[in-house]
Amino acid sequence: MTTTPPIVSLRDVHKYYGTYHALRGIDLDIGAGEFFSLLGPSGCGKTTLLRTIAGFEDLSSGTLLLSGQDMAGVPANRRPTNMVFQSYAIFPHLSVAENVAFGLRRRSDLNRQAKAALVEDALDMVGLDGFGARAAHALSGGQRQRVALARALILKPKVLLLDEPLSALDKKLREQMQNELRRLQRHVGITFVLVTHDQEEALIMSDRIAVMFEGEIAQLADPQTLYRRPTSRQVADFIGVMNFLPASLTAGSTAASVEIAGLGRAAITPEQCPAGMPTGDCTIGIRPETMSILFDGEPAPARETSGQVHELAYYGDMTYYDIALDGVEKPVTLSMKNLVGRRVLERGETARISWDERALIAFAK
Amino acid sequence: MKLKGFGTSDTARGLTLIAPPALFALLLLAVPLVAIFAFSFWSQDFLTIDYTPTLKNYREALSEPLYGQLILRSVLIAGAVTLTTVVLAFPIAYFVSFHVPANRKSLWIFMITIPFWTSYLIRVFLWKVILGYNGVLNSTLIGVGIIDEPLTFILYNANAVVITLAHAFAPFAILPIFVSLEKIDRSLLEASRDLGENHVMTFLRVTLPLAVPGVVAATLIVFIPTIGDYVTPRLVGGPGGLMIANMIQTQFLKLNNAPMGATLAVIAMAIVTVIALVFIFLNRRWLKARS
Amino acid sequence: MTGRGGWLRGYAVLYLLFLYAPIILLPIFAFNDSTIIAFPLSDFTTKWFTEIPNTPALVRSVQTSLIVAVTTAVLSTLLGICAARAGARYSFPFKTPVMGFIMLPLVLPEIIVAVSMLVVLMALDLPLGSWTVVLGHTLICTPFCIAILNSAFGNLDVSLEEAAFDLGESRWSTFRLITLPLVMPGIISALLISFTISLDEFIIAFFLTGTEPTLPVYLWGQLRFPQKIPVVMALGTILVALSVVLLTIAEIARRRGIARAGGKDTGGFL
Repeated sequence: MTTTPPIVSLRDVHKYYGTYHALRGIDLDIGAGEFFSLLGPSGCGKTTLLRTIAGFEDLSSGTLLLSGQDMAGVPANRRPTNMVFQSYAIFPHLSVAENVAFGLRRRSDLNRQAKAALVEDALDMVGLDGFGARAAHALSGGQRQRVALARALILKPKVLLLDEPLSALDKKLREQMQNELRRLQRHVGITFVLVTHDQEEALIMSDRIAVMFEGEIAQLADPQTLYRRPTSRQVADFIGVMNFLPASLTAGSTAASVEIAGLGRAAITPEQCPAGMPTGDCTIGIRPETMSILFDGEPAPARETSGQVHELAYYGDMTYYDIALDGVEKPVTLSMKNLVGRRVLERGETARISWDERALIAFAK
Repeated sequence: MKLKGFGTSDTARGLTLIAPPALFALLLLAVPLVAIFAFSFWSQDFLTIDYTPTLKNYREALSEPLYGQLILRSVLIAGAVTLTTVVLAFPIAYFVSFHVPANRKSLWIFMITIPFWTSYLIRVFLWKVILGYNGVLNSTLIGVGIIDEPLTFILYNANAVVITLAHAFAPFAILPIFVSLEKIDRSLLEASRDLGENHVMTFLRVTLPLAVPGVVAATLIVFIPTIGDYVTPRLVGGPGGLMIANMIQTQFLKLNNAPMGATLAVIAMAIVTVIALVFIFLNRRWLKARS
Repeated sequence: MTGRGGWLRGYAVLYLLFLYAPIILLPIFAFNDSTIIAFPLSDFTTKWFTEIPNTPALVRSVQTSLIVAVTTAVLSTLLGICAARAGARYSFPFKTPVMGFIMLPLVLPEIIVAVSMLVVLMALDLPLGSWTVVLGHTLICTPFCIAILNSAFGNLDVSLEEAAFDLGESRWSTFRLITLPLVMPGIISALLISFTISLDEFIIAFFLTGTEPTLPVYLWGQLRFPQKIPVVMALGTILVALSVVLLTIAEIARRRGIARAGGKDTGGFL
């Protein structure tokens, strides 16, 4: 992915607050023009990492390079990065145009007209043309976010840092802004680094995602790999929904196989299994959409098992079933599209279930 | 997790900023308080000060009935003022918080605070005019025919001091109670009603307990300056209404006995501290018992 | 609800009458053509007002008080800005005790502040004068300024300053362009309130003043002479009017500040 030299480069970065170890050895390269996301639960250090890149936090140890230059001792106002704050931080005493023009104040090479033209362009780019004279406090949440974007992008930073920029918006507006942000990023070609706790948002927008837990990067991959091949149970659990079944791994002469509670024996390829995993007790993960219910004597495309409908949740487009399998304590979840003519099972009904061993992922216990 | 500052040397920046006000308070408050404490252990020898440490002043202050009487009276008057002020202020704070529309509240608070910002001396003097033998109150009451003789128990005694101080410190009592009432989530009152309590019981079981911190703050804010008040006892108190501050002033400026004045000041401070601590302790216990 | 609101409202009106009783009397006696401050009233006159500028000692004390009050307001607001900023933004060792100590004059009877400063000044054999009054007043006004400025600095979103810094401004220009304009209403309130407190303060001025008395100290002396009282009433009337104007300005500044920050008015000074 990163064939061009990295724009952001972190090497063994640690950050302590007193005795609290907030960042625990971060190694990370972010390429030019990438849309990169830092994803994790609150308190995982993602915001600290972003603020470290911005220059609001010092490193306790390690190095940070921005386009090859060491940023040690370079304050935030001298770094080629700009930030969109979670609260947007729109200056309440300035108009929209004055907010957007704020960072141009020190540009002596530009006269008033040139600055005004740049502000025009920036507002135009975020869809706020004609809003320049508005008072900042008269803006809606979505408009504030656009002003914050225009204000940062007008300075043409090498990296734009976005701290949970969509968390304050309602669902509809958030989905719309996700698309717009993605489009805007392609349009300007600037590297975006986004902090979010919303896994769906990260999957939709990013080229690559770093999943963080407790100050460490647990996995760094593109969205599809992250979803399909999570390298740890923790990551798998955080991204989307996954069922975990107790299992036992046996290494054969040619291929490995697992004995899974409720599903039976299945073959497993090295791809589905972390390298060097010991044989014996393990956990098998399987996503809800890779299993399905078989109706009316329909033949199973791959493997088949059966169970009882324990609970169900009807979502309109989908139905989520919790199915109790024999020999498994916790029911497994599977999802079905509510296609035309397909009925919704009731609680207590016995269901035939189809599953595919290619969808299995093994994790250490 | 703490996220603050621009990253570098927040502690140094904080210390640099706090240094001027802290040094000022150190030089003009800490040093004088230490000095007055030291003075209270010295003694006046005609025009010079005898620096040998002695408890003579304290013995005198505690044995001489005049001082004991003044101290006791100061505490009693301040207590009466505090009780009167807080009891009178609570309904006002309650009214503004619960019965005045939200957009009119700051107007009411503004109206309540205005009299407080007008010259204290002149206000106290005007109470003398109101309460006097031929004063506004007496001439009005006689004019209306309620009384035949002017009331004499309302000027030049402790009553006059209580009335005047209750007036002077009214906003100090109203504001903290108002703030604590404003903080009460109105849905708590609805919940209480929903659970079957009537207005009165809701007030007693929900509103009043939640207003306790405000009442405690009001009590302290009124009591502390009141016990050291000088102007009011002097102007409307008469000989029977004088308080400790008047004696401190007399010792310093009239009798030229700074050590004795310092001793009385230290005793006054000690009383204020003890009473304040008792109150804070009771408040803690109250809050703890509820959590 | 309305029934209880009814008698409470009646009580509130009576209470306001109690609060305003002395202030209502003030102009009545100020315009009354008699040196006896009692009813019944005599004729209407404005001569007590015209006498004010013709009383040199009074004029001098007003000048002294104004100089003391302005100096106190500026000093205590500056100290208040430092303390409130440090309190709202930074953590440093012994923060709570240091801040508590600076706020201590708020809970100390003023007579204690007055005599303890007097003791030190006497011991150091320093002359009393307007500057000693300024020091005493600054000491008691600073906590009020801090209380007002705390909410101004506390309501300021840290990310606004970070945003300005991130957009290339220096620490100082960030303060000038962002912080200062946003806390300005608080600064104006602090200036006005410390000015008002200093102008009205008696006991500290009484102990620490030198040969040039402040206005309250001068008035204190005049209260003993009945023939001087009407002039005091006239002056008091002017002071009340002045206070109301100043407070109204402070209140408007406060509301503007809230509106500017996009917040909701929850009412009240302090």
